[in-house]
This record gives sequence, C-alpha cells and structure tokens, in this order.
Amino acid sequence: MRSLLLIFLVSLSSICVGQNYYIYVTAESEDEVALIKFDGKEAVVEKTIPVGVWPAEIEGPHGINVSPDGKYWYLSLAHGNPYGTLYKYSTETNEVVGTVELGLFPASLQISEATGLLYCVNFNLHGDMVPSTVSVVDPEEMIEVQRIETGVMPHGSRISPDGMHHYSVGMMSGELFEINTLRLKVDRVLKLDGEEKKEMGEMASTGGMAGMDHSKMNHGQMDHSKMNHGSMNHEKMFHSKVKPTWVIPHPTNNKVYVAGNGSDEILEVDLDKWEITNRLKTGKAPYNVDISPDGKYLVATYKGSGETGVWDLSKNKELARVKNTRKVSHGVTISSDSKYAFISVEGIGGEPGTMDVIDLKKAAKVASVDMGKQAGGIIFWKQE
Amino acid sequence: MILNLKPIMKELKLIALALLMCGTLFAQDLTLKVNTEPITLKIGESVQLMAAVVDSKGNKVSGREYLFYSRDARALSVVDSTGYATAVKHGEYSVVVISPNPDGGRLRANIKVTIAPAALAKIEIGEVPTKIYAGVTFPLDIKVYDKAGFERPEITVKLTSSNEKIVKPAPFNKVIAVAEGKSTITASVDGVTTKLDLNIIENPIAKIELTTDMTEGRSGDVFTLKAVAKDKNGKVVTDAPINYSFSGESYDVSAAPSGMMTKEGKFVADQPGLYVLNATSGPAAASVTVSAAKRNVSRKIEQVGRGSVNTKHTSDLWIWEGVDGKDYAVTGTWGADGTAYFWDVTNPAALVLIDSVKVDARTVNDVKVSEDGTVCVISREGASNRKNGLVIIDVKNPRDVSIISEFSENLTGGVHNVFIYKKHVYALSAGRKYYSINIEDPKNPKIVGEFELDTPGHSIHDVWIDNGIAYSSNWDDGVQLVDVGNGIAGGSPSNPVQFASYAYPSGSNHAAFPYKDKKTGKFYVILGDEEFPYGLDPDGRKPGRAAGYLHVIDFSDLNNPKEVAWFQVPFAGSHNYWIEDDILYAAFYNAGVRVVDLSGELLGDLNRQGREIAWIVPEDPDGYVKNAPFTWGAQPYKGHIFYSDWNSGLWSAKLEPVVPKNAEVQTK
Repeated sequence: MRSLLLIFLVSLSSICVGQNYYIYVTAESEDEVALIKFDGKEAVVEKTIPVGVWPAEIEGPHGINVSPDGKYWYLSLAHGNPYGTLYKYSTETNEVVGTVELGLFPASLQISEATGLLYCVNFNLHGDMVPSTVSVVDPEEMIEVQRIETGVMPHGSRISPDGMHHYSVGMMSGELFEINTLRLKVDRVLKLDGEEKKEMGEMASTGGMAGMDHSKMNHGQMDHSKMNHGSMNHEKMFHSKVKPTWVIPHPTNNKVYVAGNGSDEILEVDLDKWEITNRLKTGKAPYNVDISPDGKYLVATYKGSGETGVWDLSKNKELARVKNTRKVSHGVTISSDSKYAFISVEGIGGEPGTMDVIDLKKAAKVASVDMGKQAGGIIFWKQE
Repeated sequence: MILNLKPIMKELKLIALALLMCGTLFAQDLTLKVNTEPITLKIGESVQLMAAVVDSKGNKVSGREYLFYSRDARALSVVDSTGYATAVKHGEYSVVVISPNPDGGRLRANIKVTIAPAALAKIEIGEVPTKIYAGVTFPLDIKVYDKAGFERPEITVKLTSSNEKIVKPAPFNKVIAVAEGKSTITASVDGVTTKLDLNIIENPIAKIELTTDMTEGRSGDVFTLKAVAKDKNGKVVTDAPINYSFSGESYDVSAAPSGMMTKEGKFVADQPGLYVLNATSGPAAASVTVSAAKRNVSRKIEQVGRGSVNTKHTSDLWIWEGVDGKDYAVTGTWGADGTAYFWDVTNPAALVLIDSVKVDARTVNDVKVSEDGTVCVISREGASNRKNGLVIIDVKNPRDVSIISEFSENLTGGVHNVFIYKKHVYALSAGRKYYSINIEDPKNPKIVGEFELDTPGHSIHDVWIDNGIAYSSNWDDGVQLVDVGNGIAGGSPSNPVQFASYAYPSGSNHAAFPYKDKKTGKFYVILGDEEFPYGLDPDGRKPGRAAGYLHVIDFSDLNNPKEVAWFQVPFAGSHNYWIEDDILYAAFYNAGVRVVDLSGELLGDLNRQGREIAWIVPEDPDGYVKNAPFTWGAQPYKGHIFYSDWNSGLWSAKLEPVVPKNAEVQTK
C-alpha cells in the first residue's frame, strides 16, 4: 500500500508540476552556451556560459548533449590547432570537469546508455574530402578509446534506443553508417544515393566508398603538400546528391530517419531490411531531425527556408511547416513529455541566434528567445 | 484544482507495472567479476583478462557481452571484444571492462595490470672529445636501455675511475680530467657496465689572450669575446676548450648585475654596470672588464587620434596610401556582423570613418590592401552558408568602396588570415594550409598554388610575404620560409618551395616578421606566440589577459637557425607586430603597443636590457568592454603609429623623434 502511495505521488508530481523545461543551446559564433528555461509560455535565457579558452579566436561550440543521468553536459568545440576538443561540464555548476582532444571539427555526439561511452563524429567540415571518423570516448575518464573511420563529413551522431548501435551519415559521401557500440566497428553501410547496400565485408572486396579503400589509407600521414590540388578535377569527385546531414532512430519501430539536406527529403530506413523504405518530401534543405519520445512526431529543421516541419509519423504526413524567427534553422530537440520541440536558429551575420519553441500538438510556434550568435547545437536537459 | 483522475490512474498502473518489473530485475543483484589478483606481465607476454557477470549466487550469467579497453593502449594493448591483453611497455596500467545490461544500463569494472620493466641491457656513452686536456671538466652523455629497447632515463648510473689521479667522476655525469695519463671510466648499474677509455694529455695551454670587440657599450649591446689559447712557446692551441663566464656590479645600487654569456663568448648586459668577462681553459684564465651603460632609448609617445568602434570588437588593420595620395586605413571586426570599416587617416589626429562594407560573416579577421592601393582583400569567418572564403574590394575610392568578387573555392572552412603580394592573395584555408590565388583579374580569382605541411596534426595561423618569401606561422611546426617568387629556392606563386624552418617547444607560433639588420648583416625572423593560459572571464565582460612573447630567431645561416633573443612583457601576451627602421612595434593585447629598439646584434632578454623605447595602452572607458585594452596589431606609417584594439577601434600615436641625451622620459 505504501508503495502504491509512493507511485501515486511520483505520478502526480510528474503530471502537475513538470512545467519548466530546460534546454542547452550552443552559440557557435559567440563561443557561448545558453541554458534556456521554458515555462510553457515564455522562454528565457537562464544562464550564459562562455566556453573555450581563447578570447580572440572563435572555437566554435557545435555539438552538445546531456548524459543519461542528467548530471553532465558534453560539448564539442570544433576548432583547434587543428583538432577540436570535447568538454565535460557539470549541469549543477556549469563548470568544466574534464576535456579530451578529438579529431578534426568534432560535432554531434551522444552517450550510449548500454556502454556508457560517448560517440562523437569528427565532421572535418573544413578539410579535404576524405573519410573521417567517429571518436569513442569514455566520459567517466575523458579518454578517447577508439576512432572508427566512416564517411566524408560524418554528422548526426545518434544512438539506438537499446544503446547498442550508433548511427551517423557521411554528408558528402552520402552514406548511412551503423556502428556496433560495443564492438566499436562499423556493422553496416547504406549508400543513400541509390547504390546497392553493402556489408562491410563486401566493401573491401568491391572497392566501396567511391572506389577507394580508405580503410587502408592513413590520411593523417599523407603528404598533401606534394599533391597538386589545383590541377585535380574535383568535379569528378563523388558528392552525394542526398547530402545527408542527420539521422535519428525511432524509439520503437526499428527505423531510422535521415535528413536529405541536398534532396529535400527525409529518408526512412528500415533497419531490418537495411534499405530505404520511404521518402518524405520536405521543405528546403532539411538539416537536423528529432523524434518525440512517444514516437508520434518527427520534427525537422529546414535550413534553406528558415522553417521547421512537424510530421505525424503514424501517417507520414507533414502537419505543419512553422516559420522560424530567423533564417538558417539548425537544431531540434524534443521535450521528454513529447509536448514541445525546441529549435535553434542561427541567423545571419550580426543577428542574434534564437531558440524557437513549437507546441507539437498545435504544430505552432509558441515562444522564442534570442541568444548568442549562430545558435546551433541544442539538447533538452530536464523538465521539473 | 480539479484533477481528472482517469489518465492518472492509467499512468499509475503503467508505472506500477514497470516498477514491479524493475524490482524483479534488480533482485538478480548482478555483479561484474573481473581479475582481482594482481596481474603482472613481462614485456611481450599476453594474458587473457577475465570478466564475467554473475548473479547473487555466483552463477555466471550467459549471453553477456563485454568490452575491454586499455587506458594506455600504446603500453598495454587489449583486444576490445575478448580482453586478450599484451604487454608493450613497463608501467602500471588499467583496463576498463563494460558489460551492457539487456534492460538498460551497464556493469563496469577495472582490472589493474603491472608490466614489469625488462632487465637493463646496455649503457651507452656518447662521443667524447678526441683530445682531452688535463684540468678540463667535461660532461658524459649517458643513456641506459633495457632489453625491450626502451630508454630508461630514471636509472642513475654509477661512475668510477680506474685512476682518480688521472680522471675523477663528478656529480651529474661530469668528469674531471685531473692530470695527464690514461684512465678508464666505468659506468655501471644493476650488473650492466660500459667502459670508456680516456687518454688525458698534458694541457699545453699556458695562457689565454682575451680581447673584446668593445669595452664600453650599453645594456643590450653584444660584447663579442675572442679568446686565444697559447702554449708555453706562444703557439696558438686551436682546439683549446674555452669556458666563458662573467661577474659584475651594477651601477644602480638597488639592482643586481645581470646579463647573459653564450658558450661562444658573446656577452650582453641586462643591467647597466661594470662586468668582468672571463675565459678559462683548465688552469689558464683571462678576463676583461667592460662597461655597459644605460641604454637610454626611452622616448615619449603621445596618443594623436582615434576612431572609436565600441559597438563591436575590432580585429586587424592596414594603412595605405590611396591612389589619390591621401592616407587610408581599413579595420576588420570580430564576432560581429561581417563589417569592415574604411577610414581617412591623412590627418592622424582626425581619423574619419568614410565607408564600410558588410559581408555575410561574423568575423572579418584580416584585412590587406594591394601595393598599388587599388584592391583590398578581407577574410570571412562565420558565413551563414558556411562558405566563407574571402572578399575582394575595389578601394580606388575609399570613400565609396565596392565589392568586386567573393571567392570561396577550397576556402569554405574559413579564412583566418590573408596577404597580398604582387597580384596574388595568399589565403589560409581552415587553419590547415594556404593557397596562392592570382587576382590579376580580381573579378575572377584563380587558385594557382598551395602550401601545406605533411606533419601529423599540422596547422597554420598566419602567412606574411616579404621579398618573395612567405613566412607562415604554423603553431607546433613553427615558422616555414617558403619561396613564392624570391628565387632563393626556385619557387613561385604556383610552385611554393619551402627552404627553411624553425620550431620551438611551446608550439605557440602565431605570427612571424622578417628583419634584416643592416649594420650587422644578421637576418632575423621574429616569431610571436599567442597564448591564453588564464582562460575566459566566466561573465564574459572583464578584460582578457594573454601570455606568450616574441622569439628572435637568427636565420643568418638558413640551415641552422638559432633562437638568440626574446622580448617579453610580464602578465601580457604578444599578438601582431611590425618592424621598421630597426624598431619593433608590437601589440601585446592587454599591455597595448610596445615600441622596441632592435638596433645592433640581438641576444638575450630584450626587455630587461632596456630596449623598450615606449609603450602606450589604449584604455577606453566607453569601449566595447570598458577600460579593457586588448591591442590587436600595430603598423608604423609615415611617422605615426596606427594600432587597432579589440575593444575600442582604431588609434594613432606619435613617437617623439629625438632622444635628449641622458634624459629620463616618462612614458604612458
């Protein structure tokens, strides 16, 4: 009986009290992270946390996520000399508790609840068109355990609900990668531009990745100074038409959804079949995607049109296309109660960045708050 | 408040069910058991590390998967899926084991592994001089290796001599040649020995004749000693080992004498005083006394004008003579809205903002103008489409500048710095390399060449061109001298050829500026650090503080560059700088502009030598951050100094041209 009472109280508190939502948002051109509170009506910046150590260099906070227990937030600073850095902050104090250097332009990241390890793509946004990696970090120790080579400009680091698989996309190579989070190896690769699917074993024998066996190359050791890039025919290099920029696993249906930034669509990939099973035509240049914890809604930012699309996944229908406050819609994160989507909007030049709040049931923007320039990485922290 | 209890009851049922299920699972009380006994391996040995999830009764749970990883995989390699570990290098290490729970969460444990050091294998003693004169002390270069091939610097070797009347060991692996004769030095530790036979010959040196190129100079002047060792017959001993040293007394009773003596016999005084310079070789010794007067180069500096920018941060500046004969400046902005400002600075006392351009960027970090004053290039970072690149601007009429073209090919990652030289733009790309871009037709820029290092983790911060040589600052890789048209190495803009370099341990090389001293013929490249060890103000509104300094590298011998001097400002850090007529104009962030006398040979600590001529700090109570000088760069131009400050914009100052002899000048 006592336990039933306890259950009742817990349930009651979650229903009646949980009206404040907390979100962390990066300001990539301000070297700041904003902690934003949304009370159901109004969004306000609760705290602005300067990040990085160089006052006169932009270090570019890009990817952000919160540990499953909510005690820490993790931030990738993309720029370095040349490598970027992963920072670990306490959510209690918003102070740095650890750092570790990763690869070139570390970006989106997430911790697997199964392994406890953090997986961060090294986007290498500004580098040569060569395959990059996913860094695997032990966040308890802040040690980089492994680097796993994937595609060209990997982005969209998200973990399956059981924590056993990591998904990312190669933005320029047009590939979807599935990494076994425990074995720390790429299990499967799906070419999103229409080529047939390949298991990793086949890749080597058929010369996958646009005909090159990049796994045998040590790109970091290559002598690029001896190459004449000016005379190279870059037009003949493979550039994905889909240009995938994000992938998000569905919480229950064993599918992942890929943002086709170049093809203006969301690709539905069935993980059992390992093939594209649906294409949802979107607004211009979908960029980041999230799915509500209850599995009903898919929300995608349309970077090209400054809008956000709210989709009903049961019908694969776009419910609304919400105009964002500014141009260059970037990231999206959805509250744990599946009620609100929070959208980071970069803006242009000297404009502030903005976080918009979309009520998913109404499929409408209900609040907005300005923050530092180029709002980018965004993650829902807690509701209380 | 009225509650609709129907949904609550539904949720209650679900929660209760979930908790009951969890209770069942938790009751299993699973534990991850790993090796608890100490594991000690020899190098090369392998071991299967053990991990098993057991229930409360100690029964192994089947179907579990495990991940093993070594905290130092280079010393203890571990196969992640099996836990098969192989010892590579001695030391104490740990392996983390993780086993995911099927219902969420994971079990985790550590295994400690000790790798015993291999037995010592050998002691190596480096080369010693072929002729060792009695009376001389010399060092031994001793290295100890173990049987696994690792050097063991922590091992102390015992030195003994077969005849201490001939050769005597001294602390810190030194050996004293006491007298003529033969002796064997034995180096030993843990049963490993190495012997070194030494033949000490009679010291022929009867006297040293010591001269100096001058006996009176100033602090900061280099006194070059010439020591000639002669035997009792007056014959020169050419291979005599000479040790140089100095002592002295300061002219200022409140200051201690100080200076620097090189192994080659070059002395420089920091503190004015009377110095005794010594040369010894065994029992022979000689000395000369020199006087170093106060350098007395201080000059008055006055702020002349300013062009306030206090709504955003200001970055770099460039001053040039326009095609109309008037003088102009362009300044960039940082972390703002992509604006570059154009100023009429013909009257340095009245800096007039005359035009601006705004591009899709947040930072215009660098600005440069062509030699003929017609074209300006600005760098872009933070473009909204992430295609940064550079922007070429027509500045023939600086009052009405116009964008000629934008260029982002291979430069999308952001251009931090640029330089214009002979119709080519040298533009950094994403901090990794630089491209040479032909702008003979500025509407259609064309990449014609590129330069990139091939070192692991290479990066680049700046490039500066002078006399056909590109000086790029490459952080850990130091400065790279690249022929882009000078001809010294057959290079050109389309075929840049690297021919010299110098790196220093801190890896902070951020800027470089060449300087040839006409009097001495010395060719220096001054390398600047950029360091921010103090981090950021948590509230973001307090003045920043930098560190790092300027390193003077003597490149007179391109194949053997040597760091000879440095200029440091306490509690401040260097940024951009310029050299003209033997004077250095250096922005030192929170310490403003420092004006430094570079005349003559450079050696040692230039600041302590009193070479600083003047300094001026741009403090602005109305600045973007109030009263927070953060000076970006300085450029001497037609008798004035122009400088940009991150928090306050563009400034001009005038250095008083005449130095009253022996006058004390207060600078501000």
